[in-house]
Amino acid sequence: MTLVVDSVRAELAALAGPSQVLTDPAACAGLAVDGKVPDCAVAPAKAEQVAAVLRYAGEHHLAVIARGNGTKLSIGNPPRRYDIALSLRELNRVIHYEPADLTISVEPGITFGEFQDLVGRDGLWLPLDPRGGAAASLGGIIAANAAGPLRQGLGGPRDMVLGLKIATTDGKIAKTGGRVVKNVAGYDLGKLLTGSFGTLGVIVEASLKLFPKPPERATFTVQAGTLGIARDLRRRILRSPLDTLRLVLLDSPATALLGDSAEARERPGAELWIEVGGSHRVIERCMFELRHLASAVGAPLARREEAEEAWEHISNLAHWLRQKYRDLTVLKAALPVAASEEFLSRAQQEAEAERIALASFAQVGVGIVHLCALQGTLSASLAGLVARLRQAAVDLGGRLVIEHCPVDLKSGVDVWGAGCDDLAAMRKMKSVWDPTEVLAPGRFVGSI
Amino acid sequence: MKSNGLSKELARIVGEDGVLWRGEDLMLYEYDALSSMRQPDIVVFPRNTEHVVQIVKLALRHNLLLVARGAGTGLSGGSVATEGGILLVFSRMKQILEIDLENQRARVQPGVVNLDLSLAVADEGYYYAPDPSSQKACTIGGNLAENSGGPHTLAYGVTTNHVLGLEVVLPDGEVIHTGASHWDRPGYDLTGVFVGSEGTLGIVTEATVRLSRKPEAVKTLLAIYNQVVGATRTVAAITARGITPAALEMMDGFTLRAVEEATHAGYPMDCAAVLLIEVEGLKEAVEDHADEIEAVCRENLAREVRRAKSAEERDLLWKGRKTAFGALGRITPNYYVQDGVIPRTRLPEMLEFIGSVEKKYELHIGNIFHAGDGNLHPLILYDERDREQTARVVKAAKDIIMRCVEMGGSITGEHGVGLEKSDLMPLIFSEVDLDLMGRIKTLFNPQGRLNPGKLLPTGKMCGELRGGLTGGGAL
Repeated sequence: MTLVVDSVRAELAALAGPSQVLTDPAACAGLAVDGKVPDCAVAPAKAEQVAAVLRYAGEHHLAVIARGNGTKLSIGNPPRRYDIALSLRELNRVIHYEPADLTISVEPGITFGEFQDLVGRDGLWLPLDPRGGAAASLGGIIAANAAGPLRQGLGGPRDMVLGLKIATTDGKIAKTGGRVVKNVAGYDLGKLLTGSFGTLGVIVEASLKLFPKPPERATFTVQAGTLGIARDLRRRILRSPLDTLRLVLLDSPATALLGDSAEARERPGAELWIEVGGSHRVIERCMFELRHLASAVGAPLARREEAEEAWEHISNLAHWLRQKYRDLTVLKAALPVAASEEFLSRAQQEAEAERIALASFAQVGVGIVHLCALQGTLSASLAGLVARLRQAAVDLGGRLVIEHCPVDLKSGVDVWGAGCDDLAAMRKMKSVWDPTEVLAPGRFVGSI
Repeated sequence: MKSNGLSKELARIVGEDGVLWRGEDLMLYEYDALSSMRQPDIVVFPRNTEHVVQIVKLALRHNLLLVARGAGTGLSGGSVATEGGILLVFSRMKQILEIDLENQRARVQPGVVNLDLSLAVADEGYYYAPDPSSQKACTIGGNLAENSGGPHTLAYGVTTNHVLGLEVVLPDGEVIHTGASHWDRPGYDLTGVFVGSEGTLGIVTEATVRLSRKPEAVKTLLAIYNQVVGATRTVAAITARGITPAALEMMDGFTLRAVEEATHAGYPMDCAAVLLIEVEGLKEAVEDHADEIEAVCRENLAREVRRAKSAEERDLLWKGRKTAFGALGRITPNYYVQDGVIPRTRLPEMLEFIGSVEKKYELHIGNIFHAGDGNLHPLILYDERDREQTARVVKAAKDIIMRCVEMGGSITGEHGVGLEKSDLMPLIFSEVDLDLMGRIKTLFNPQGRLNPGKLLPTGKMCGELRGGLTGGGAL
C-alpha cells in the first residue's frame, strides 16, 4: 500500500511541483472528511495542474475531494473513497477586476475576507454572509451555494455567478457563462455547478457580479416573545414596502445563546433580528416603519449598535457553536416561507419529547431554518429526532438536510434525505461529468 | 408517417380541434420574430401535461422531431420547426394554477402570457419581475426557454433568478420535477440548466415562479442629450455613484424620431440620444437617487432632465421604449436586431464603433440599449428584396458581434442563441466547452429530436450568422 501511495505522491509532485504535495501523515489527518484520512494532499498553484491531477486520479481510480478552507466539508455523506485531498488555497489570484463594471474574476482559493476587503476599497461587496465567514473560500462558497441570512436582500451565490471555469475529470478546463452581467449563450452550467459540492468538476475561476455597498446599515430587534407574534410580525414586514437585508427569527433558546445581557439569558423569548441598509434617511424611515409594525403586534423594538458579531454568529452557526458544544448537530430545513414558524414550533415539541436542547435560527423571509442540537446525546435519540424533524419539514412542503453532526450519526442516516423524481436525471448528469467517480464519491444526494 | 395518419393520432390525444395540418394554417407557424423559415409538418395544442407526455411518446414511436412554442415572439428563431416535425403550441395551457402570496410564488402553465401573471396579482401589490418588451404577448414558457430579460432585469435579474421549480417532460416521455416551491432543495440545480436551454433538453409543462412585491415609489427620468457620448458616459457614472437603477435604457435620436412618430410619447425629436432611467424602492431612497442621477446626467452634459409627473406619463415613456422595434418597423421593410453584450464601461467606444460600421456599409442603424447592463440592440434597417444590401447587413452585424466578443462580452444577452447564432458559439466557447454542452444535450435529448438545429453549432457554417435575415417582428 505504501508503495502505491509513494507512487501517487511522486506523480502528483510531477504534475503540480514537489513543494505542492503534502506527505506528512499528521497533516493529512487534518484533512480528514467524516473521519476518512486521505493518503496525500496536493495544492496546485495553476488551473491546468488541477485538471492534470483530476485526470491522473481518474486514470488510476483514485478519489479526490476538493477543498478551499474546509469550512463546509461537514456537509455531505461520508465519502465511499478518499485518496487525495485537493486544496485550492494556492489558486488564489484575482484574474480580472473592473470596479466600474461591477464584475470580478477570481480563482477559487481567495478567502471571502480577502475578497471583501479588496472590493470594499471601491465601495463594493458581494452581499453574502456564508457559513465559514471570512475564512471561507470563494470556490467553496459557490460549490456549496452557501447563502446566509443576507440572501433575503440580494439573493445567493446562484444569483451572483456570471461564469465559471471548471477543471473536469478528463483533465480539461471548460468554461460556462462569461464576465458580463447579462448572458444567455449556451447552457447555464454555472447554475449546475453552484451547489454541486465539488461532485461534478472543480471550479478554477469564477466571475461574479458585485454590488454597491449600502452607505449605512442598521440592526433592529423585536422581542416577539411567542412564535405566533413573530409570525404576525414577519407577515407584516414582508408585506410592507421595506426591503430588509436580513430577517432572522431566534427562538427562546437561541435568544438565550446569543444573549449579550443577563436579562436576555434569564428571560428569553422569541426575538426577530432585522437588518436594513441605505442612506441615513432610509434607515430613519425603516426604523419608523418597524417601530410601527412592532407596536401593532404589541412588541418592543430596539436598535442594536455593534451587532456585527451577533450576525457573524448567526450566519456561521456551526463554527460559533462548535467551540462550546463538541457534539453539535446543525440541521437545515428549507421550507415555504409561510411555514417557518410552524416548523419551529413543531421542532421545539419534538426536541422536548426527546429531551434534546435545540436552538433555532430561522431566516423567515426565505424559509430557511437552522436547528442546532447542542448537547452530546446518544445517537439513537438524535437519529430519531432527525427523522421526525425531517418528516415535519416534508409535511410542511419542505426538506431537511443535516449540515453538521457527529460522524457516527451519518452511518445510519442520509444527510440529504430521500431523492425526488429527478434523481435519475441527476445521476445521469454526474455520469457526464465524472463517469469514473473521481470527485467526492458517495457524498452527495442519492449517494452520488 | 403521412401527416394525415399523424393528425388522426394526435387528434385522438388532444381532440379534433387541437390539431392543425392544412398548409394555410401551418403558414402561421413558419416564423417567429427573427424570420420566416419553414413550416412544421403539423401543429398540436396540448391542454395538459398528460397530453404532452402522449404527444412526446407518439413522436418517440415514430421518430419525429418536436419543437415547443409559446407565442412565437422570440428573436433568435428558437420556436421555428426549421427541420419540420411536430410543433407543440402552448396557447391552450395558459392557466395560472395557484397564486400563493404569503409564499410569494405562483404555479403556472407555460402558455400563461407574461403580463397576465403580473396583472393577476397587481391588485394585491405584487408582480412578476422579468419584463421582456414583448410581455403583452410572450409566454412564461418561452421566457423560460430563452431565459428572457427585459428593461427591469438590471436590478432584479433575468428569468432564471425568478424560477423556483419546473415540471418537465423529457424526450422519452418521463415527467420530472426539478427544484421545489422553496429554496435550496438538495441536489443538482437542474432548474438552472433547463431555464435557457431553448427547448433542447425537455419540454416545460409547469413552473413555480417567484412573485415580487411592488415598490412603494417609482420615479422615471428622461435625460436628453445633444451628443450620444454624454449619454453613454452617464451610464458608467451612475454605477460609480453606487446607484443601481431599476432600469437604465438608451435610445439614439434616429430611433427616437421613429418612436415619437408612432407613439407620441413626448420624446424630443431633435436630440442625439436619451436615457430612460427608473428608480424604485422606498420613497426616501427614490428621491435621493433621482436627485443624484439628475446631477450625474447634467455633469455629463444632458441638456435637459425630465421627470414623469404621473403614472400616465411614465406609461407613455415606457410604451415608447417597449414598442421601439415596431416603430422602426414602420419606416423600413425589414430590420435585423442584434443582442450583443459588452462591459457597460465600454459603451462610449461601442457606440462610436457602430457609427463607423453604419458608414462603412452605408446602412441605417437604430440603437436601443439596455445600457445599464451593457446589452445592445442595434437595429439594422434594410429591404430584403435588395440582395446586395442584405449581404451588407450580414457583414455589419458580424462586425458588431465580433467587437462585442473582443471586448470580453457575449453574443446574446437575452434573446437566446436559437437558430440565428448557433454557429457563432465558437466565437466565445472552445471545443471543450461546446463538447461538454453537447454531451449534456445528448444526455437528455439523445436522438436530437427536440428542437434540432438550435443553440449548439451545426458545424456547417462556423462563425456565421444564420436565419436568412427576413425579420421584422413588431416587438
